[in-house]
Amino acid sequence: MANHGYTGKILRLDMTHRKATAIETAPYRRWGGGHGMGASLFWDFCKDKTITDGRHPANVCCVMTSPLCGTIVPSAGGRCEVVGVGVGQYPISWFTRSSFGGRFSTMLKYAGWDGIVIEGRADSPVWIDIRDGHVIFHDAENLWGKDTWATQLDIRKLLRIKGGTKTHWQDLQALALSEKDESRGEDFGRTTQKPAILCIGPAGENQTCHAALIHDAGNGAGQGGFGAVWGSKNLKAISVLGTGGIKAHDPKALLQARMITKEKYVTSWETPDFGAWTRLGRLPNPIIQVPPPTSERRPQSCQGCINGCRARYNVGYGNESACQETSWYGPFVRKVAKTSAENTEINLKAADIVQRYGFNSFVFQTGLHWLEHLYEDGVLGPGRKIPSHLPWETIGTLDFAEKLVQALSTRTDIGADMADGWVQAALKWGREEDLHTGALQFSYWGVPEHGYDPRAELEWGYGSLMGDRDTNTHCFNYIFTNVSAAFAFGKPLRIRAEELVNLHAKKLSPYAKGRPEVLDYSDANMYSEAVAQIVRWQQHYCRFYKNSALYCDLKWPDFINTNLPDLEGATASPDAGEHVFWNAVTGDTLTFEDGIEIGRRIWNLDNAIWVLQGRHRDMVHFAPYIYKTKYNKGELFPFYMWPCRDDKGQWRYTDLMGRSMDKDKFEEWKTTFYRLEGWDTKTGWPKRSTLEKMDMGFVADALQAAGRLGEEES
Amino acid sequence: MSCQLSLPDEGLSRKILGRVSYKDRLPAGRLKPPVGIIPGDVRSLPELDQFLSPDAASLPGINLKALSEWIGGVIGDRELADSVQKIVNASVSYVDDCVKIYEVVGYRLDQARKIVKETM
Repeated sequence: MANHGYTGKILRLDMTHRKATAIETAPYRRWGGGHGMGASLFWDFCKDKTITDGRHPANVCCVMTSPLCGTIVPSAGGRCEVVGVGVGQYPISWFTRSSFGGRFSTMLKYAGWDGIVIEGRADSPVWIDIRDGHVIFHDAENLWGKDTWATQLDIRKLLRIKGGTKTHWQDLQALALSEKDESRGEDFGRTTQKPAILCIGPAGENQTCHAALIHDAGNGAGQGGFGAVWGSKNLKAISVLGTGGIKAHDPKALLQARMITKEKYVTSWETPDFGAWTRLGRLPNPIIQVPPPTSERRPQSCQGCINGCRARYNVGYGNESACQETSWYGPFVRKVAKTSAENTEINLKAADIVQRYGFNSFVFQTGLHWLEHLYEDGVLGPGRKIPSHLPWETIGTLDFAEKLVQALSTRTDIGADMADGWVQAALKWGREEDLHTGALQFSYWGVPEHGYDPRAELEWGYGSLMGDRDTNTHCFNYIFTNVSAAFAFGKPLRIRAEELVNLHAKKLSPYAKGRPEVLDYSDANMYSEAVAQIVRWQQHYCRFYKNSALYCDLKWPDFINTNLPDLEGATASPDAGEHVFWNAVTGDTLTFEDGIEIGRRIWNLDNAIWVLQGRHRDMVHFAPYIYKTKYNKGELFPFYMWPCRDDKGQWRYTDLMGRSMDKDKFEEWKTTFYRLEGWDTKTGWPKRSTLEKMDMGFVADALQAAGRLGEEES
Repeated sequence: MSCQLSLPDEGLSRKILGRVSYKDRLPAGRLKPPVGIIPGDVRSLPELDQFLSPDAASLPGINLKALSEWIGGVIGDRELADSVQKIVNASVSYVDDCVKIYEVVGYRLDQARKIVKETM
């Protein structure tokens, strides 16, 4: 079988015996790539799927590419998926996922590998050196203790990579090799590229729940605590240099679809529409959350992206950081910054700090407010119930940011209690009440609310809870941001509510095609079968197209697009839809719906692993504050606008703030969701009949052997 | 925008430039796509000035009615509170209101800084 899009090999790293072997990709081809392939590899290679902490030696961590990585597929060529059991969630650290961008997945493909399976635990720190087919284990004692940037620079020095920005041809064989390496003398390629390095910093070495994997300056796999997983395996870094290429099945079709994307879906350079309602079709713009430090900057993006979301600045800080890490400290910085420029500088340097420590700043989004609250209430601080010698009175300064991240990365000060999870720390400190009042807004699975509150943004909240982590899936939330911004500015709406939901419904095949009511998040519809269908669609779409084919979450799906007269975005389109690119690269003949079905299969495999880990529907619930308190209307933003039907059935943009969730009704919604998925409604466990229809009888067998197979309805 | 506020005395100027206690803070979020609504608060007018500073990448989120009450009741600047309330009463749009309030708060801070500097 031709390996169009695939390299045909997956690298298996046995950390315990420091041994690298290759396994065939072909048996895993049915799972697509990325998450699906990684979950299947985890299923095969993890010998104990009941583990509930990713630092357990039995854990298997897979770093996976997709067939589209390293190609010109728009906003899909540069993502990389990481799967395995995570660290720091509550009550169980699930089999989970994270992803990062940049050029690592591309380079891995160029080196001839579709992914990496990491097993076991080395007896001392190592880093892995991959050059095409050659894989070398190096001692990492001299790298241990270094931050992620220093680690990457040191590895470049160890490899004798020439510095600077000038292009140099480098022969891979001439680079430094281990004395034990047996492949010396074999044929190596040559390249002008620098190695792509994925590594951990102090947070990972100390195996804290906040630990991320970092690549280059600012690409990070944050959620899931995979940095701690690597730390537990004594794996400091993986460096890869590849000199090969990727065969596309139909290069002409691939190029044609790419050109259609540019010419049809993306806003014109000559007459740019900066306020366009589209995800794919916007112009490149760094999504840093403060005003840029300078106009002297270069756009920076992942491999193959058509609208890069990061930048490099001539001021030398904030490079490649974007989104959450550039805003985690913002509410505190403005308490001390004298000017907007100083505000930007502290925020971007705080972003650099978390990148260097390999620290996932997402926990701070709501968590740092909680810590400040404990300090201001006299609970946390020197000599207080929760002892801390951090200079809390200086919160907002750069010095405090570094001290805080350092403590939480090294298990010192409050970091000692927080290393295993924030909810775990709250319980240890006797602060359970904070989960009831909302002082600690960690909404699901011991992770923070994202900024799209479950009481308003239903697909985000419900999807996170039915899954394994904060979903961080931006399929629909742009509706809220676009519409709310239009209301805030008093500007005309680009698309009326009824037209907007109808445009979406055209593309929500198969479960919700032609059913605009799935987007009706009104009080009357929020626990409906329709909303269950939108959650299913999102989970299945994402498990294949985003997490496995690795289309960028910030650009896909493109449901609506005001750059086009008919307002229809690229998603599912016959000229430049997701499946069109997939088929051009792989030679498959998937329909858009086929991709959703693969996603459903992957989702079911994930759920089976969660069930083996101990999941039961009784533990699937939000933090108490979601049921007990109302989403505080008007306090943090004036409104949360969303298309809803009124009591006469008319579609209007409606404010969703000011409500809580009804626990009993949500339990009924769960039953509906389980029924639609073909899972046992009493337990949430998969049923044999459902699994066998997807050719997953082997999963049913394993669940049955564990006594955790769902009961068939009589 | 022309702001018409009488000069504050030194005592009021110090209040205008001062910081209130944690329990007297005013909730203030920020909409930052794609991150979402980020929680936060303000504890002083200089901080409010930073918070309302126009930014192409995000929108301030604040209850403008509560803001007027907070400025009058907690900060203690009744005249500025009335000015803010007038802006809200004549609202064109939320963002437009925020920009106008940003300007009047900035004007008030300039007045207070000048007074405090003169009396030093």
